[in-house]
Amino acid sequence: MAEQETAAVGIDQAGGRIEISQQELDLRKRFLELGEDDVGRLTGINDLARRYANGVIDDFYRHLMSFGETRGFFADPQVLARVKNMQKEYFLRLTQGNYDLDYVRDRLRIGAIHERVQLPVKSYLGMYNFYLRAVAQRLADAFKKKPDDGWAAFLSLMKLTFLDIGIAIDTYIESRERTIRTQQEAFQELPTPVLPFREGMLIVPIIGIIDSQRARQLTEQLLSSIRSNRAKMVVIDITGVQSIDSKVANHIVQTVEAARLMGARVIIAGISPEIAQTMVTLGIDLARVLTVGDLQSGIERAEQMLGYTVTRSGAAEAVGG
Amino acid sequence: MSGDLLVPIRADADVLLARQKARELAKSLRFSASELTLIATAISEVARNIVAYAKQGEILLRLVTQGRRRGIRVVAQDQGPGIADISRAMQDGYSTSSSLGLGLPGSRRLMDEFDIVSELGKGTRITMTKWER
Amino acid sequence: MRASILKQGTVLIASVQGSMTDADLAQMRDELVANVRRYRSTGVIIDVTLLDVMDSFAARTLRGIAQMIKLLGATAIIVGIQPEVAFSMVQLGLTLEGINTALDLEEGLALLKPPGIAVHER
Repeated sequence: MAEQETAAVGIDQAGGRIEISQQELDLRKRFLELGEDDVGRLTGINDLARRYANGVIDDFYRHLMSFGETRGFFADPQVLARVKNMQKEYFLRLTQGNYDLDYVRDRLRIGAIHERVQLPVKSYLGMYNFYLRAVAQRLADAFKKKPDDGWAAFLSLMKLTFLDIGIAIDTYIESRERTIRTQQEAFQELPTPVLPFREGMLIVPIIGIIDSQRARQLTEQLLSSIRSNRAKMVVIDITGVQSIDSKVANHIVQTVEAARLMGARVIIAGISPEIAQTMVTLGIDLARVLTVGDLQSGIERAEQMLGYTVTRSGAAEAVGG
Repeated sequence: MSGDLLVPIRADADVLLARQKARELAKSLRFSASELTLIATAISEVARNIVAYAKQGEILLRLVTQGRRRGIRVVAQDQGPGIADISRAMQDGYSTSSSLGLGLPGSRRLMDEFDIVSELGKGTRITMTKWER
Repeated sequence: MRASILKQGTVLIASVQGSMTDADLAQMRDELVANVRRYRSTGVIIDVTLLDVMDSFAARTLRGIAQMIKLLGATAIIVGIQPEVAFSMVQLGLTLEGINTALDLEEGLALLKPPGIAVHER
């Protein structure tokens, strides 16, 4: 339970995780200049807040429901009632003091809920904006005799709401980044296709980022395919690869050598000027690697070496009707 | 974590035995055919060194776990002459076509973890580990 | 476990077993040399399909055999290196440079047919 004491951790629906340590919380408060005086002012208007809570919430949702977009979120009256209640608790919490890790935990939990119902950030910010303006009005009325105090209370409230907004947005960001990570991983796990093309030939089109792990996977797959397809020529097309590092370059050379041990010759097609430069700089012995500019040349070369001749049999047929 | 499986190494037939035992042991883990071959090859290299230079020694095989992942640990040790210059022995031109060296850099490439301790006149101990991916 | 050596016309075919000892390999080498001479073979195929591990020692030995065969005026081709073995070999840096290779026995024999070998030798 040590973690509970030193950090607030929020877990979202997809298992994304955001952690705010005591240290981080203190830092954020310092940055917002949210101090003990502010806490005092906020708890000082707690009674007032309880009095205006329902009014503010009702105004707020009336405003929300006037927008088609946000209305959709609260179509179900049960959902609306529940949300209004939660919202009231949420806003009341703002003036109850103790803005500690428990407070953050609570905010993270709510952030996860918003995220789960896919409430857009702009709506969330819009809500807060409305709330602050609604409260500002009521504070002005309540502090007519001491406007400076009213103003100071409002500023304290603003600091705290920005702390909240920061936490909520962090939740959104973590969720987005998590999606990106998941997609990236899925993409990386896509096997590189090894395509039989003509008897005795394989084409391996490589697209996108190729790292050490993928290069190794590719090699194993290719060698296996050489055996099952009895391939004597392999064209590896790296037209779609922007750049490679030395590890990957070495993997490619290893692949060429391993294929040769199995009696197959490899042609690397589509080397970009950048990759060519990389290979030269790395001192890769290109004498042992057959390279051509593009895929077509690679295929033609491979066909040639296999003893195929491709001839055109006359005018091309018209396509379509 | 099981105990060590010990294979005494004295002749080239023992090298084959060590490879075989390692394959059997590693089969219970999630290794690909390639990875099993890498392990067997690394063992072959270090075991041959024992036969060639130390005349006798042993290979210890053991399944290990680290958190959620499992692996196989190979220890090759002998009381042979030891290696004079370990850093030299671990150096590598990319291709080892001259192959008069100990094949140590190659073995390191084949495994995930590689450690070597050697003292002139005392002996050598190589510890290598391969983890499931 | 000894190597079996078959003769097919002017070609000798030797199969390396996975469990061959160094002595077995040495014996295979000697038999091949003797047979190349006796039958004036023009080609020798060394089939390593059953070899599960090719370490630096095995590679050196095979290289030596191939070189001897070449000195006797015959062409040596190593066939049957398995995908996993090929992969390990290049990790170790064993490229068998200068030695002919082919996928398997069938391909090896095709290479030896006239017009003779025109590929792969570097």
